[in-house]
Amino acid sequence: MSKRNAKAGIQSWFDERFGLSTITKFLREKKIPQHRHSLWYYTGSAILLFFAIQVITGFMLIFYYNPTLEEANKSVGRIMTEVPLGWIIRSIHSWAASFMIAFVFIHLLSIWLTKSYREPRELTWMSGVFLLCVSLALGFTGYLLPWDDLSLSATKVGTDIPRSIPVVGAWVTRLLRGGEDVTGDTLTRFFGFHVCILPVFIFILLAVHIYLVQKLGMSLPLGDDNKKEKIKELPFWPNFVYRESVVWLLLLGILFTVAIFLPPSLEKAADLMAPAPEGIRPEWYFLFLFQTLKIFPAKILFINGDTLAILLISMAFIFFFFLPLIDNKPAEKRGKVITLMAYVFIVFFVVMTVWSLL
Amino acid sequence: MMLRGKRNSALFLMVFFLLSFFVLKVDFAQQVVQEEQNKVPQAEENAEKIVPSPANIKESTGIYIFLAWIWIAIFVLIYILRLKIKEVDRLNNLRFLSVEKK
Amino acid sequence: MKLEHSLFTRRQFLNGLLGGWLGALMASFLYPVMKFVFPPTREPDQVILSFSDFKDMEPNSVKIFSWGSKPGILKKEDDGSYLAFVAVCTHLDCNVAYLPDQRKFFCACHDGWYDENGTNIGGPPPRPLRRLIIVIEGEDLIIKREGVK
Repeated sequence: MSKRNAKAGIQSWFDERFGLSTITKFLREKKIPQHRHSLWYYTGSAILLFFAIQVITGFMLIFYYNPTLEEANKSVGRIMTEVPLGWIIRSIHSWAASFMIAFVFIHLLSIWLTKSYREPRELTWMSGVFLLCVSLALGFTGYLLPWDDLSLSATKVGTDIPRSIPVVGAWVTRLLRGGEDVTGDTLTRFFGFHVCILPVFIFILLAVHIYLVQKLGMSLPLGDDNKKEKIKELPFWPNFVYRESVVWLLLLGILFTVAIFLPPSLEKAADLMAPAPEGIRPEWYFLFLFQTLKIFPAKILFINGDTLAILLISMAFIFFFFLPLIDNKPAEKRGKVITLMAYVFIVFFVVMTVWSLL
Repeated sequence: MMLRGKRNSALFLMVFFLLSFFVLKVDFAQQVVQEEQNKVPQAEENAEKIVPSPANIKESTGIYIFLAWIWIAIFVLIYILRLKIKEVDRLNNLRFLSVEKK
Repeated sequence: MKLEHSLFTRRQFLNGLLGGWLGALMASFLYPVMKFVFPPTREPDQVILSFSDFKDMEPNSVKIFSWGSKPGILKKEDDGSYLAFVAVCTHLDCNVAYLPDQRKFFCACHDGWYDENGTNIGGPPPRPLRRLIIVIEGEDLIIKREGVK
C-alpha cells in the first residue's frame, strides 16, 4: 500500500465514524470575497491566535501559580526567578492579553464601520458583544492574580463601580468580591473566574459566533450585496488560509519580540491595610472608562456624579448591543450618523486614554 | 401602527430604567455578617520589585539566538508562503476563467 | 549520473520546504515549553545543621533531617561516628525507617530491607541507600552530596 493510499485509508476510517467530511467539504468550498475592505477579515482569526496562546501559556503558568493570599505574589515571583524561562512565559501571557483585546476592539470597529452587523448577522454581533465583555472580564480578573499593590487597588476600584447600578449593585459587588471588601477570598474567586468560569463562557460564545459566521458567510460592504457583477472571491482553503498564516507568523514574531524585550515586572505583595499607592490605574483598555468616571464631578445638581456616569455608560452599552436592530436603515441618514458615532468613539477612546496617562 | 407601539414600549422601558437609578437605595446588603477582623498575614519583607531578566549571560545569549532564529524562520516561511499563494492564486484564476468560458 | 525524471514535483518540493520550516519553528517553541514544564530538580549541594542537636544521640539511633524535599537519616554508630543517608528507598521512593533492635533499615511499602550500613539485603530494592558525606566544623554539622567540594 503506497503512502497516499494509506493516508486516504486512515482518513476514510475516521470519516466513516466522525463524518468530518461534511466539514472539510464545506471548508473547501467556502469562499472569501475580495474587495476594498477585505483586509479586516484577518482580525477575527488574529483574535483566535492570541486566545490560543493565552490558553497554552495559561496552562503553563497554572502549574506554578498559587491562588492564595499568602502565596500568590510569591508564586509569581518564583515563576519569574526560579522556573526556567518563567518570566518569558508570563510576559507572553501578559502581552498576548493586550494584543487580543486590542484586536477585539479593532475587529469590533471594523464591523461597526462596514455595518457587517446588518441583517442577517445581528446575532453574530450580539454574541460578539458578549465575547468582548468576557474578554475584558478575563483581563480584569487576570490583573489581580499577581496580588501586588497596584492590582489590588485597581480591583478595589473596579469592583466598587457596580455599586452604583440600581437594585442589584451591592449584590454584584459582593458577588465579585466574595464579601464586602477585597480579601483573599476575592483572589480565589477571581482565579476561579479567570481559569474556569469565564473560559467556559468564551468557548460557548465562540462556538456560537464562529458557527454563525460559517453559516451566514462573509458579509459584503454596504451596497455590494446586490451588485450585478460578481465580486471576486478567493477559496478559503488554501488561498485565504495561506494569507492568514502570513499574518499569524508576523503577529507571533512581534509578540515574542515585545514579550522578551518589555517583560512586566512584579511589585511586592499587596498589603490589605496599607493606604492606596499613588498612580493606581487599571489596564490600558479600561483607562478610557476610568477617566470618564474621573471627570464627572462628585455631584451634579442632586445626582451623584458616579451614578450619572455609570448610567450614561450603561445606556451607551445597551445602545451599542442593539446596534444592528437600531441601524436597520443603514444607507440612510440614521446609518450615516451611526457610522459617525464609530469615529466619535475612536476619538473618545484615544483622548480619554491619553488624558488618563497625563 | 405597530412600530409606534414598539417605540412607545421602548421609551417606557428606558424611562423606567432611568428612574430606577434614583429610587431610594434600599440596602439589600443589610445582613452583612460581622466577620471578625481577618488576620492579615504579615508578608515578610520580600524584595521591593522583581524585574525580570535572563539569569546569566548564557541564557541571555540563548534568548537572542532564539529570537534571531524565530525571525529568520518567519521570513523564510513567509517567502515560501508567498510562492504558494502565487501558485494557488494562479490555479484559482485558471479555473475561474475556465468556468466563465463555459 | 543524471536522473531522467525528478524524484519529486516542484509542488512536493515546495510543500516539503513549507512543512519542514514550519516543523522546525514549532519544535523551537517546544524547547522553552519543555524547560518550563520540567523544572530542574532542587536537591541541595549541602545542608548545614547545628551539631548540638545531634551531639547527644545514643549509639545505634537515628535522627531525621531535611535533605531538600527528601528526608535524610543521620545515624550514630556504636563507636561514636556518624553515617548519613538519603532516607528514600531505592525501589519506588518510599521513605525508609530504622529498626534499632534489628539493626536494619526497613521500607514498609514493599518489604524492602537494608543492613545497618544501608546495603540492600532483602526485598525489591535494587541498590543500597544513597550515602551522604559528613563534615563536622566546630558547631556546624555539614552534610554534603557525594562529589561536592
